[in-house]
Amino acid sequence: MIAPMAILLSIFVIYPLAYALYLSMFEISFYRDPVFVGPQFYGYVLDSPRFWNAISIGLRLAVMVVPVMLVIAFLIASLIRTLGRRLAGFLKTTIYLPTVVSGVVASVVFTLMYRLDGGLVNGALGVVGIGPFAYLSSPDLALPAIAVPAIWLGIGVSSLIMLAGMLDIPESYFEAAELEGAGFLAQTRYVTIPLLRNILLFLFVTGFILAMQQVDLPLVMTGGGPVDSTMTPNLFIFTQFKDPTPYATSFSLTAALILFFVLGSVSALIFRLVRSEKAVDA
Amino acid sequence: MVRRFGLRSIIAGTMVVALFASACSPSATPSGGSNAATATPAAGASDAAIGPKVEVVFWQRQFEDYQQAWFKKQVAAFNAAHPAIEVKYTAVPGDAWDAKLKAAQAAGKVPDVLTTNYGAIKPGVVNGQFAKLDGLMKPEAFADIADNVKDFVRTKDGYFGYPMLVEPSTVLYYRKDLFTAAGLDPAKPPKNWDELIADARALTKGGVYGMNIAQTAPDLGWSSWGLQYNAAGHLPIADDWSAPRATDPAYTKLLQLYQTLYTEKLMPQEATFPYADASFYGQGKVAMSAGGSWEIGQLSADFKDTLANTAIAAFPSVDGDATKPTSTLGGWTLTIDAKSKVQQQAADFVSWLLAGDPAIMTDFFKAAGYSKYSPRASVAAALAADPDASRNPYLAIVSRDVLPYAKAEPAYPWDVSIAFGTAIEKAMKGGDIDAALAEADKAIADVITKQKLAGTAP
Repeated sequence: MIAPMAILLSIFVIYPLAYALYLSMFEISFYRDPVFVGPQFYGYVLDSPRFWNAISIGLRLAVMVVPVMLVIAFLIASLIRTLGRRLAGFLKTTIYLPTVVSGVVASVVFTLMYRLDGGLVNGALGVVGIGPFAYLSSPDLALPAIAVPAIWLGIGVSSLIMLAGMLDIPESYFEAAELEGAGFLAQTRYVTIPLLRNILLFLFVTGFILAMQQVDLPLVMTGGGPVDSTMTPNLFIFTQFKDPTPYATSFSLTAALILFFVLGSVSALIFRLVRSEKAVDA
Repeated sequence: MVRRFGLRSIIAGTMVVALFASACSPSATPSGGSNAATATPAAGASDAAIGPKVEVVFWQRQFEDYQQAWFKKQVAAFNAAHPAIEVKYTAVPGDAWDAKLKAAQAAGKVPDVLTTNYGAIKPGVVNGQFAKLDGLMKPEAFADIADNVKDFVRTKDGYFGYPMLVEPSTVLYYRKDLFTAAGLDPAKPPKNWDELIADARALTKGGVYGMNIAQTAPDLGWSSWGLQYNAAGHLPIADDWSAPRATDPAYTKLLQLYQTLYTEKLMPQEATFPYADASFYGQGKVAMSAGGSWEIGQLSADFKDTLANTAIAAFPSVDGDATKPTSTLGGWTLTIDAKSKVQQQAADFVSWLLAGDPAIMTDFFKAAGYSKYSPRASVAAALAADPDASRNPYLAIVSRDVLPYAKAEPAYPWDVSIAFGTAIEKAMKGGDIDAALAEADKAIADVITKQKLAGTAP
């Protein structure tokens, strides 16, 4: 029984990973023989301020996106759970719609909305005397401006997964809580959240990793600027990869490998911090 | 659960890395791309060959619409005149070019002929990327290239690209009517940077910005090369690429120019259009604009009303000395990939298109509204005899005031340029100028060390 899995893992995981590690020991040229340089590029990447800036930008984006997305998705799912079948169906479809919008399309739409001249956001804020702001040209505002469509795109799936988890909680638990006089907040605290813990953990970790790996929004909306303030890790690697030099090819490959280990470590750390073993048995 | 989920994460992540790695597989051996499927390398002119058609894949970097139309027309004409060769033409959008080309290189499916900018020729030769053209094209073709352009496309080993056009990266466009309305003399454009800022202040009113210039690091990285020369007499790296020179105090004034224009809101506050696009100016949102000579073509095609009120001049110099460079002489060539299996046929196409009948390229420059310049003596002579060209006021000004002082594009890695472009952008966004230059200097030193640049300048 183990053999098929072992073979598949070898073909699709172990060999490619080992080959990637092997390649990272070379300066790769598509026109000349590769030059063995040992672990030199690992030093170059780890020594690169732009690489660590990109990791920092990814982490900041994740911190902006994931908690807000989870809270909004939780509130939406809680609302839908209490609604009748027809209205719930309508709401589920509505909140899922952003999920089927491509990131590129969302990027273009939000770029137009953020425009300094004639943008919807500045127009709306202008009514109450705020702004205008050049959201995507300001190093302080560009990342939060990108976080908004990232949240919008992620809410649909998160809400539906949470709703599925909520519907799995026996209704009798809520009825019992109600008989004990528990309101919405008490039910949420003592019933819903504890029994959704695995789902929340899943959404937290996957949302975190997805936010860290965000590339299409900053690519289209800002190109990583201004002054690298939206240069997420994958966008940084992609930008490096495009450069025509052999150095850039090897640097981007090595940076991708290091990012893989960084994300793996962050995931492991999150699991440890939230004690996921207990969550399974909750 | 930790282990199970951890394993899933590792599998997912590994597959991403694996895909990346497979795209990066080093391959020094010639590829058998689809372009070679019917190829039979020939030593001479291939249109005399008998047998199946030889396919030559040609990627053109997408520019203004008229260029795509011109290339399409000429490729069709070439194919009709050469029954043994079929040129397959593709226009690739500029923002997708680098990624698409690199992916093609990784997959061993690089086009046979492709557009290459002057600055990329020498690094590409070092990397073994381009075929040497000397044996593939007639010597007369190279003799026809203007002397000051020959070094752009050749190394000590020979020619590796054939030039199509040159175009200065920076000239000053300004609105005569707005100058008059602001009490300025349209016959006296600003000569130095202080005058430029003063004029921009006078012109900024009524929802119109006084000036437009690049404002993002990727645009600043290349569009400021001429002004870097102007401010300091050199680029921010030693001539032999052995040490950074970004902290030269002469650069302070350059960054102050950009900083003043942006922080005083004398220019647009967001980059709705990139530097190479004249739309801010064409739409009447700015009164003056820095831009390449190619923008004349865009204005004459899309913004005729604005062009009617437009004058152009050399971009102001730091101290008013008009003989200092303010622009680089950029432009495009056609190169042949070193791995192409149809190099002779590809060279036949390049010879026919760029080095053949001068009427072909004259037609191109006419379509461009004389906003670009020929690197070939015979084409330049044909254009000089063209009444339309000789009547064109912009052509005369650029030829007299800009071209003679323009410098060649640098050949160092883009990392050097982006480091300095980032420093300018930081200053524009209110950052400390000395700190920004120091950071650029450090970044350039890092590039020199890691990419082993010292002593490798061509």
